[in-house]
Amino acid sequence: MEGLITVPEPVFLAQQVLNGLSFGALLFLLASGLTLVFGLMRIVNMAHGAFYMLGGYIGVVIATLTGNLLIAVIAAIVAVGVTAFLVEVVLLRFVRGQEMPEVLLTIGVSFVIADLCLAFFGGDPQNLPNSVRIPGALAVGDLVYPWYRIFVIGLAVAIGVALALVQSRTRVGAIVRAGVDDREIISAMGVNIRWVFTGMFVVGAALAAIGGTIGAGMQSILPGVQNEVLLYALVVIIIGGLGSVPGAAVGSVLIGLIDAFAKAWIPELAYFTIFLPMALVLVFRPTGLFGKAA
Amino acid sequence: MSNRIVETRTVRTFGPPRRDRVQLTNMALLALLLVAAIALPYLGASGFMVSLASTILIAATLASSVNFLAGNGGMVSLGHAGIAAASAYGAGWASQQGMDPGMQVLVALGMTLLASFLYGLLSMRTSGIYFLMVTLAVGMLIYGLAFRLSSVTGGENGISGIERFEWLDSYWTYYYFVLGVFVLATAALWIVSNSPFGASLRGIRDSESRMRSLGYSVRSYKLGAFMISGSVAGLAGLLAVWHTHFVSPSSAGVDRSVHLIVMVILGGVGTLLGPLIGAAVVVMVENLLSSYVDRWPTLLGLIFILVILFARAGIAGSAGKLFRRLRARSKAASSPEGDAPGGAAAPPGDRHAVHQGKDPQ
Repeated sequence: MEGLITVPEPVFLAQQVLNGLSFGALLFLLASGLTLVFGLMRIVNMAHGAFYMLGGYIGVVIATLTGNLLIAVIAAIVAVGVTAFLVEVVLLRFVRGQEMPEVLLTIGVSFVIADLCLAFFGGDPQNLPNSVRIPGALAVGDLVYPWYRIFVIGLAVAIGVALALVQSRTRVGAIVRAGVDDREIISAMGVNIRWVFTGMFVVGAALAAIGGTIGAGMQSILPGVQNEVLLYALVVIIIGGLGSVPGAAVGSVLIGLIDAFAKAWIPELAYFTIFLPMALVLVFRPTGLFGKAA
Repeated sequence: MSNRIVETRTVRTFGPPRRDRVQLTNMALLALLLVAAIALPYLGASGFMVSLASTILIAATLASSVNFLAGNGGMVSLGHAGIAAASAYGAGWASQQGMDPGMQVLVALGMTLLASFLYGLLSMRTSGIYFLMVTLAVGMLIYGLAFRLSSVTGGENGISGIERFEWLDSYWTYYYFVLGVFVLATAALWIVSNSPFGASLRGIRDSESRMRSLGYSVRSYKLGAFMISGSVAGLAGLLAVWHTHFVSPSSAGVDRSVHLIVMVILGGVGTLLGPLIGAAVVVMVENLLSSYVDRWPTLLGLIFILVILFARAGIAGSAGKLFRRLRARSKAASSPEGDAPGGAAAPPGDRHAVHQGKDPQ
């Protein structure tokens, strides 16, 4: 840590806090989709990391071609959304309501997507080209921090607020909330819950795709990344409580900060430090911080 | 509430097939396979083939440990590769410190018990999806330690040059050793599955609340089951590291654990021969087919998806079903197929009740 020697301590702290928040923002994009899908459909989508990966690769390719981040994000959303739609309609519907086969099926899907990504995009780490990233850095006194990462934090906050508003203020949100509480009643009231499920699955995957494209500007997309991000997302939603979006937000920030400081101070135990809070939560509050009692 | 229904259904779809005559057929098949396996090095199989057979047997041992938990306890673990890797790293570390193979075994055993206890402790409160996620997370923790704690584990390069006992040096003696361990481990797991302990586990799988109200300590049963399963997994880890003389972080990775699940589901959850069949298919796809087909993981993934969609009972389970159906058809007219009542699934508490009922006092 040469930063520790040359830069005064408060600046280092501020930098790590910002690192933690921006990584937490990325985690929130991932975990919110995962937790929303679980809340409604009771599926832990193990292909979520693969959706992130696919979104990242497509985002990088389109961003390199067009030089426009917005087009890249939209392309990634469309591609991953279509993939998720097919997975839901062609595969998951056949095992609806059977917890374990559903999860195992998504594991198989993750396997296939990750391997096909390797076939199409190769094994080299890929990043967003510099041209599409927001240039420059924020400078406050001695603190210098890239604008792009601050943009990621802003985006995650915006998406979080949007999700909360849609859930609490719109008709679609009301249908989803009703579906979480009681599927039978909502379908008896004339809502086709199957398509609500499909829609939610696609929205969850789209959030992963946004995370993948935006995240490719912070950390490389490469084979194996699907498992790593899935793991972080799982830890976040276990801590926050499965199905809870506020829980995902709190869990993301917590894990983001812990991870940033752990990587700076005790890099040898980097993974260990995110499992400690998870283990503690599991032991003392198995439903997570914001989870409803089963 | 809807969660409860889901859980019960899951259990039904993944439970083992009824065990009566099937078991006998299994034993006969197993004896036949055993003879074939013993004869393998004498049938002109090349060193490569015998070594591949060892790989299959090691994978099958590991898959059996996953199968034990999934079949009896309904606990699908996505982190068993981590236990095997902990054991393998234990042996590797001991070998690096210049210890002899005997000490390697001891260190590996210690690591195995430690890892299994950690897994069990964290997962014993959970079931179903939560169990899967917790085991996945602990597995990744071990992967992370193997990867980052490079002062002990050698980081990405792993530890190489791990030597087994001298009397196991040649590839075919080692093959027989692996075969012996596999047979013993399978037999041990089979005995435990058919003991009152196994019956209680199946009771917990089918209804945790019922077993709790009967006075069973569900958590200690789960922990115990994990320790048993973990011990077998650790054994497989030691066998693997002696086989390849090498251990690296990828042996603890999620992909390995997923492969194990694929083996178990492919072969048939809760069946005796399932893990061996599944391991044979997966290892052969991985080692033989991979030289012809670049995209073998895709192929494996597709096979896995198809099995879950269409042949939930796996290869061994489906074969058993087919066998029973044929049998039932051949004597369709004579008598309706009757299952042995109660039998294996009755918890020891029931036996007690019967006993007390008979008592004149």
